[in-house]
Amino acid sequence: MAAALEVKDLEVVYQGVIQALSNLSLSVPEGSIVALLGVNGAGKTTTLKAISNFLPLENGRVTRGSITLGGEDILKLPPHLVVRRGIFHVREGRHVFAEMTVEENLIAATFAQRTQRSRKEAFEEVYAYFPILSQRRNQAAGYLSGGEQQMLAIGRALVADPAMILLDEPSLGLAPLIVREIFEIVARINREKNVSILLVEQNAVIALKYASYGYVIENGRTVLEGTTAQLSADQDIRRFYLGVETHAH
Amino acid sequence: MNAFHFFIEYSIVGIASGGVYALIALGIVVIFKSSQTFNFAMGEMMMLSAYLFYTAAVTFSLGILAGMVAALLGSIVLALVIERVALRPMMGRPFIAIVMVTFGIGSIIRGVVGMIWGPNDLQIPAILARTPVLIGDFFIPGKTARAAAIAVCIVLALILYLRYSRAGVALRAAAADTITAASMGIDVRRVVAFTWVIAAITGCISGVLMANVNTLTPHLGVVALNVLAVIILGGMNSIGGVLVAGVIIGWLEAVTGLILGTEFREITPYILALLVLLVRPTGLFGSRGIERI
Repeated sequence: MAAALEVKDLEVVYQGVIQALSNLSLSVPEGSIVALLGVNGAGKTTTLKAISNFLPLENGRVTRGSITLGGEDILKLPPHLVVRRGIFHVREGRHVFAEMTVEENLIAATFAQRTQRSRKEAFEEVYAYFPILSQRRNQAAGYLSGGEQQMLAIGRALVADPAMILLDEPSLGLAPLIVREIFEIVARINREKNVSILLVEQNAVIALKYASYGYVIENGRTVLEGTTAQLSADQDIRRFYLGVETHAH
Repeated sequence: MNAFHFFIEYSIVGIASGGVYALIALGIVVIFKSSQTFNFAMGEMMMLSAYLFYTAAVTFSLGILAGMVAALLGSIVLALVIERVALRPMMGRPFIAIVMVTFGIGSIIRGVVGMIWGPNDLQIPAILARTPVLIGDFFIPGKTARAAAIAVCIVLALILYLRYSRAGVALRAAAADTITAASMGIDVRRVVAFTWVIAAITGCISGVLMANVNTLTPHLGVVALNVLAVIILGGMNSIGGVLVAGVIIGWLEAVTGLILGTEFREITPYILALLVLLVRPTGLFGSRGIERI
């Protein structure tokens, strides 16, 4: 199947001097879950921001390389148009609109809708995946628990009916049980709606469990890639990311 | 006529003028919300709108209704040009630099209006009937009462519109978090332009009302300075707060004018605003933000 998203030889510089990515390539095939692994500061979030084109808002820019979606160059598209092409970025830290109600948060996401689906239909789908949001629909999002806020952040993406979700650290600060619940729903969304997921996750165990393919990033470049089965068997991955003691000779 | 009767009558008149303050304040608050731009040209935009109305209604004899439509359209176009040409390039610059730009725009408008229409007072066609309104035993000057009724209706309509419409959600989203708003397909620059359109509408209506209650002069916009106290009191980012704050300030001005003399009229709103800021730095209704981890 043709690659939906193709990132080639990406170089990103912040404030004109700080190089965050030096040579990063990856591809996300249609309908797949791809994980980006790496330590803090390796450039995982920067990669997502380059794709959704948030970089100019943070004084960064792509200085080399290309980003294409289904063959179309999306490097120069402003963020609000990138999302309307079908790539929805669920930011690290969830960023729900705290003073707006759950439903108003979902209404805000209707600006990203690509299809002519009615608002009612879109919201019903969100509430079907996340029933708790339906109960909380008239509450201020700021009063939701962390897990519910993460559900709302993913729910906003669902409203847009995206082709791909960039999911940044969904497990951040959440209890293991909630993390599993959220990942199960993400996997269902991937399966049932054929939405591809580019996942950035500190928790390598869970990332390798749900993704089918993975990239390891160090110092702004891809150093290792493979199916998650291959990565899980890799000695370095086992030692540095999964915390498994290995006795290589 | 006893003193208490006077007090009530002044109070009602004050509250009525507060309605127009709220209308002006609303125009300033929406722009501040969308782009952290304090628009010091608001008073001049009002004043220019009133001159546009005069020109359309009197000079071109379009009459009141068509004149008002022409003035609204002219004000909206002008606001969009100001936003596009002078303020959009300033996005991301320091707050004070942006404020100075709006000051400059205000001066330019004052100068140009003086050049075109001259410094003398003009009489605009009477939109508001003079016949006093009687509430119980209390006489309210006809123009003031009608101006207040119109202003309050428009303020309420706009508050409800921004509360329940999709455009209002986009405005609040962009105000809360620009990057996240953009990540949901909201074009933040369009939201900012939209708030300038709202400011043009409230400015135009309040300008024509003020020119009706008083007269039309290039100094009409000075009233926007009183509105500063309204905004401080209500909270810079509170759309709903402007109405309550406008009414309080209008009432306070009238009542201090009655009790302490007119020379105190001008300063009391600021003293109140200052006191409020000492106790609640975000104003009465400004948000402090819900935080939960």
